[in-house]
Amino acid sequence: MSTLAGPAQLDVRNIWWLLAAFAFVVAPHLLRLPYWIAIFFGVVIGWRAWISWSALRAPPRWLMWGLTIAATIGTYLTYGRIFGREGWSTLLIIMSALKLLESRDQRDIVVCVYLGFFLVMLNFLFSQTIPLGIYMLVCVWVFVGVLVGFNHVGRAPTMSERLKPAGELLVQALPLMVAFFILFPRAQGPLWALPRDTRAGQTGLSETMTPGNIANLIKSDALAFRVTFPDGLPPYQSLYWRGPVMPNFDGATWSMPQHLAQGRFNYPRRERPTRYSVTLEPHQKTWLFALDVPGELPPRSNILSDQTIRTYRPIEQRMRYDMMSYLRYQYGHDTSTYQRDLNLRFDETRNPRTVALGRQWARENPDPRAIVTKASRLLSSGFTYTLEPPLLDRLHPYDDFLFNSKQGFCEHYSGSFALLMRAAGIPARVVTGYQGGEVNPLNNELIVRQADAHAWTEIWIAAEGWVRIDPTAAVSPLRVEGGVNAALGPIGVIPSLIAADGLGLLANLRFAWQFVNSHWDAWVVGYNMDRQRQFFSQLGFPTVDWRTLGFWLLVATFVLGSIVSLGLLVRDRPPRREASLTAWNRFCAKLARAGLARAPHEGPLDFLARVQAARPQMAAEVEEITRRYIEARYGGGASRDDLRELRRRVKEFRPA
Amino acid sequence: MFANLRHSISEWIFRAHVPEAPPVTLVQRRIFILPTKHGWFFAFTLLVLLVSSINYSLSLGFLLTFLLAGMAGVAMLHTWRNLAHLKLRPGRCDPVFAGEEVHFTLLAETPSQTRIAIAARRTGQPPVYADVRQPEPAALVMAAGGARRGLLKCGRVEVFTRYPLGFFHAWSYVDFDLSVIVYPKPDHAAGAPPQHSRSESEEGIPVPGDEDFNMLRSYRPGDPPKLIAWKALAREQGLLTKEFSATASAELWLDFADAHATDLESRLSILCQWVLQSERFGQSYGLRLPGLTIRPARGEAHRTRCLEALALYQAPA
Repeated sequence: MSTLAGPAQLDVRNIWWLLAAFAFVVAPHLLRLPYWIAIFFGVVIGWRAWISWSALRAPPRWLMWGLTIAATIGTYLTYGRIFGREGWSTLLIIMSALKLLESRDQRDIVVCVYLGFFLVMLNFLFSQTIPLGIYMLVCVWVFVGVLVGFNHVGRAPTMSERLKPAGELLVQALPLMVAFFILFPRAQGPLWALPRDTRAGQTGLSETMTPGNIANLIKSDALAFRVTFPDGLPPYQSLYWRGPVMPNFDGATWSMPQHLAQGRFNYPRRERPTRYSVTLEPHQKTWLFALDVPGELPPRSNILSDQTIRTYRPIEQRMRYDMMSYLRYQYGHDTSTYQRDLNLRFDETRNPRTVALGRQWARENPDPRAIVTKASRLLSSGFTYTLEPPLLDRLHPYDDFLFNSKQGFCEHYSGSFALLMRAAGIPARVVTGYQGGEVNPLNNELIVRQADAHAWTEIWIAAEGWVRIDPTAAVSPLRVEGGVNAALGPIGVIPSLIAADGLGLLANLRFAWQFVNSHWDAWVVGYNMDRQRQFFSQLGFPTVDWRTLGFWLLVATFVLGSIVSLGLLVRDRPPRREASLTAWNRFCAKLARAGLARAPHEGPLDFLARVQAARPQMAAEVEEITRRYIEARYGGGASRDDLRELRRRVKEFRPA
Repeated sequence: MFANLRHSISEWIFRAHVPEAPPVTLVQRRIFILPTKHGWFFAFTLLVLLVSSINYSLSLGFLLTFLLAGMAGVAMLHTWRNLAHLKLRPGRCDPVFAGEEVHFTLLAETPSQTRIAIAARRTGQPPVYADVRQPEPAALVMAAGGARRGLLKCGRVEVFTRYPLGFFHAWSYVDFDLSVIVYPKPDHAAGAPPQHSRSESEEGIPVPGDEDFNMLRSYRPGDPPKLIAWKALAREQGLLTKEFSATASAELWLDFADAHATDLESRLSILCQWVLQSERFGQSYGLRLPGLTIRPARGEAHRTRCLEALALYQAPA
């Protein structure tokens, strides 16, 4: 017997659980945000714990206001503004910490727990990986446990009394979650504009190329995009993923033009069409990557005269598009004189030795093929391929590179090669993008990372149009044939372990992880309107609109809800002792109708004796039922069969 | 507004409620369930989470929103089943003196799983909570302070729960017609009952009482444990009861007319004090109220009878 006093919800242990849950959910944010927020949060949590431990009073209102204003100003000073993803998360963390600090009653606590769910959501704005998802699931579990604790009125429950019911609730909610996730109609695009920096801090190619900036990219293992080839992988050497094309040159930096005319698919030669679909990571830019040369356009994009594909809006979400390219092609034969002139410009005052060399080659033999051969012969003698080239002269970087350091990377080679061509009177430009990739043997998907970033050149030859020349291939053929790892050896610690492992366990684990991640990205993170349609058309429903989805949503809710309810009811069925009592009561009721009512004080045996005396003709059957009832209810426990037999006998019993 | 609405709905459903015979099992149709204020607030939270997920195309945000929504739905079932099939019986309700705290007790029993944070409250009173485990019943003791003389009815009791998440309020009403008799508050300043009311026979006849030790007699069922001669039992002389004798000073009449005070309650308080005092002194006493006379006697049953008469006494109109 226990009677518990009225609500004592703000028990110390309950508060500490809440604080722990907050620390869990905020931890990933703190790693991202400036250090003063971590300190602020730690102090507030510690203060709140101390308040509940020593039963102190909550801080006065003026202090709370002071802290709020100070934190807001601090946020403003840190970011220069309040709005934006970082600003919001900082403010939300600070405000929930302060709410925690001033919480006095159960209403405050409930507000804090709900704020905790928002903090979980906030984490997803930054990352939606599997590990973070699992971590956040644990956070939600703890928060639900906190709610259970606060509703376990009268006594602070133990850890299992919190986490078990919370876990049970979440597990039972999982089927509903899956059904809703699949069936909830997805909309196209955001309801309102995203703040500009929502996906800030991503790495990728930029609008300019200066010796050195791709080398930094190459050190990044981050994913750029993934490609599946339904008809099999084309030759590795043809995997040139065309990105920004840079004809503008100031002596050191190559850059994209501000405006370009609309392009056409005007190819005198188009062979080896190859189909593939690309899953592109958001890179905040408008270009899409395609193999040279693109043969069709994804929706909501267009092609420019340099054969690059642009979307209308920056790519802020993972995007999947289907493409077709011609791997054997000719294009640009009709390039205008004006365009060709643009690709011949350079600053006469810079890199004089390079310019002089180019002009000398042109004088010796104006045939472009001969000039290209001379250039590749130059680059293949005494040059080394390295990610850590020495710093170059700021005014004449390509002179310094070609005649002095002779160590460089694809951007050095392509940049100096293009300059040599221009000096020799051949229109030339730099093309950036990615080259190669890594094939996941589990699903034959090509994984292209930032480390595969590459720069090459295109020169214009009268009879052929624009021709791709990769000067890096002259220096380091492995780079083009085997990817960057083959050319350089592995970068970083983990890749070197994997490289040492060959195709052993670690590599397999890595591929398996890639495989899981790729499906997670495609079907969970990337589950948008298109994916939803695709899913239902694979199921045989090619046209589903939101009404159909809503209808099935209701059906699924009803069915799954019923299953959960039934599960709970079955579990709550009274034990078999009770079931035997039901049968016995029915038996007594039958006898009562026959004029032999059992007196309330009469035990089964006394009643049996009386019935046997009164109606000897049914003594045996009554005795059997009574014996079975006593055995089931007071004996060692009846099996399911015993109970069934008792019920059957009672059912067939006819008092005579 | 919401509370009012709920109140009027429940009033409408329970328009005519009749007291029930125990035990009452809270079957399905007796249990009502509605979201609490926190539940509505949670629904609003879910809405905001959903809108953010749509706006930012956060698949994991959708997953979070749907997980929490599903959890809220499941929580409704859990709240309901926390109350369903609970078996309720009235517990003991001891009489009290006016001004003391009354304890109405409900005994709750579960035929199946443990019930957590089951609450009971009388209309307008704060709730009391208990966990109900198998097999023994848990007591929900509702205290009511400052009782006034007479019969205090417990009235309808709301048995409810919000466990596990506090999003839903599942409740049911039971009315066992529980009542507690509230005796008048004894007036400690009342002094001794007036002597003139003693009868003429003044000679002391020893009557069984508890003042002077008289003899040992064999134990009879019902003898209070404090009178058992434990030492004799230890000497293996069997169960013996110590008998004391009190000097009965004949019959004492406690008369309403002798209790001098300004109002009825004060007079009853004086009489109450006299009843308690006389019983303590082992006297045989009778009670005379306008329209009611209790013959002199003594003992627990007699005392209770007198106190009940005082408690329930209504001034003739």
